[in-house]
Amino acid sequence: MSLKRAARLYIVGFIFIVLNFYPSKNLFSADVGNCLLCHKYPGLSRIDEQGKMKLLYVNEDIFNISVHLKVKCEGCHTDIKKIPHDPVNKVDCLVECHIVEPSSEQKFSHKDVDNYVKKSVHAALDKYGMPKKFKEDLPTCKNCHDEPLYRPLSFFKQVRPGISEAALGRCRVCHKKEDFIIRFYNHVTTRLHRTRNPINIAEVCARCHDDPLLVERHNLGTRAVFSYGETFHGKAARFLDERVPDCLDCHVNTGESVHQMLSHKDSAAITYRENKYLACSNIECHPGTSQQFASYKVHAEFNLDQSPVQYYFTLFFIILTGGTLLPLMAIIFLDLIRRLFPDAVIPRRR
Amino acid sequence: MKNIFYKLYVVAFMCLTVWFIVIIWNVTFHHVIEEYENRKELEEVATIKEQKKREAEKTKFERIILQSEERVKHYLGYRVIEEQRIEGHFHHIGFDIGPDNRSYCIRCHGDMPHDKVRDLRAFLNMHAFFIACQTCHVKTEGRGPRVYKWYDRKTGELVPSPVLTYRAGTYNAKIIQIENTGVGEPQRVDSQERIDFASEFKEREKELSEAQKSKAKKMIHEIVSKQPSICEDCHQRESPLLPLHELGYPRDRIDSILSTEVVGMVKKYTEFYMPRMLHPGEQNKENEK
Repeated sequence: MSLKRAARLYIVGFIFIVLNFYPSKNLFSADVGNCLLCHKYPGLSRIDEQGKMKLLYVNEDIFNISVHLKVKCEGCHTDIKKIPHDPVNKVDCLVECHIVEPSSEQKFSHKDVDNYVKKSVHAALDKYGMPKKFKEDLPTCKNCHDEPLYRPLSFFKQVRPGISEAALGRCRVCHKKEDFIIRFYNHVTTRLHRTRNPINIAEVCARCHDDPLLVERHNLGTRAVFSYGETFHGKAARFLDERVPDCLDCHVNTGESVHQMLSHKDSAAITYRENKYLACSNIECHPGTSQQFASYKVHAEFNLDQSPVQYYFTLFFIILTGGTLLPLMAIIFLDLIRRLFPDAVIPRRR
Repeated sequence: MKNIFYKLYVVAFMCLTVWFIVIIWNVTFHHVIEEYENRKELEEVATIKEQKKREAEKTKFERIILQSEERVKHYLGYRVIEEQRIEGHFHHIGFDIGPDNRSYCIRCHGDMPHDKVRDLRAFLNMHAFFIACQTCHVKTEGRGPRVYKWYDRKTGELVPSPVLTYRAGTYNAKIIQIENTGVGEPQRVDSQERIDFASEFKEREKELSEAQKSKAKKMIHEIVSKQPSICEDCHQRESPLLPLHELGYPRDRIDSILSTEVVGMVKKYTEFYMPRMLHPGEQNKENEK
């Protein structure tokens, strides 16, 4: 084979590989209806009749790293049958989309999630099927969820989070479709750890549980996320530590859906007085801890009215720490002034 | 020299000490003050509740304004996405567009001014994101060739085309028409003189009589054409209103804007909805029926 011919073959081969295996953005897109023709523009928006801003923009880049990337637009916006379409109805998250659930081979839907929520403390109806008081305060899907995003993990060497190219290399040995490989990797590794950072979870819960009006209406006794922020766990979460428990770790029975959150008055709940220690004694947290370990007031605010004992105890340490360190710093500062101006004197008044 | 370095060292150490003082203050006594303020806040809950009821309208305004102020950070481990949070908006925004500081129209009409024609309002608002109001609502026929330029939303200055730098529609710039008045150099339709007049009217509106207000409004809207440019003026191959090539659009983007797909959709809209846009009053009448 001449050198020229070999070079030609290499170039053709290279182009073939690039065209087939290069992870183009379009490979991921589920935009079969070309909805992004209009919806890629961020200004696509209006103020509706209730005075609420409706932003109709979809950021394609971010959508392509979301768990719904393979769901077609009409999979959720089921009432869109023609283009141009009429104003759309609110999305029903319980609708069956075109995704097939592989274990049952049935169309996928979030109906099971709804069943869990119906049994949870956040259900709009009580156990007798009657609407709860202040029903409008109880969350619906979008109160807690925006578009869920993949948080892939790298297991090789663990130098950085994200996708591990080394792992993908292994996948490529058997699997040929690049978008399948990346999606599968993203899906599995995202599910192997927290789907959201503890601080993001806390922010979601805070929208209701730190609202003083809501706290008062439902007689909740504490601003849950504010008081979480006062604890070691909350402070570590603020530094983006992912090893600390977030709201869901302590309020959901281990191994159950986070949507199955029960009232602390329910004896089956992990937050029930006698069960609380089970959350702490988890093998990943404080294994072997007793009931007494969890008997302290977890959501005590630094508040004189709510928790006077904790308040005075904390106040003592604040005074001790501040009262010691602040004068010390002041002395150091004065000493430095003297070093800066060794001969300076304040003239005496005559 | 040694003395100077020593002094600098001492000053740096002083700064460090002050920094420590601030930190210690924040985690100790400031915490006590914060708790006191929080307690006060809770005590005021009942009062706030009453106030909120009374200020229902104001709250509505605040809700719209504040919802675009709330910011969130999504920590994905390998990436942090920071964005505005809009209540009830499911999809992510993922970037920021600053306010249009130049436009004097939006001071009264708002950032999303199109709301009359139900079927078109979102499209018109979408275009208003990167096209100045005057570009469609002011026609300067018979004054020589039309010239269009980009201006920066923040500074208001004319800038080079951002089309190749940003994704479609996410430019921090808008297209404005340059007007040939016949006297002196061509000037922007949104001239400083017009901005000053509109701004002064806005400031002194309360002290004006009804007749004076009408007169001022008429003068501000004097240049506004009764028939604004419509979609088909640009989305057509023959002679599109906007010189897309001069505005920095590459060939493929021009092809897309003037493609059968877009032009076809515009035609469908024109067929079904456009007549109503040209007679906005009729839409309301139909709704009333």
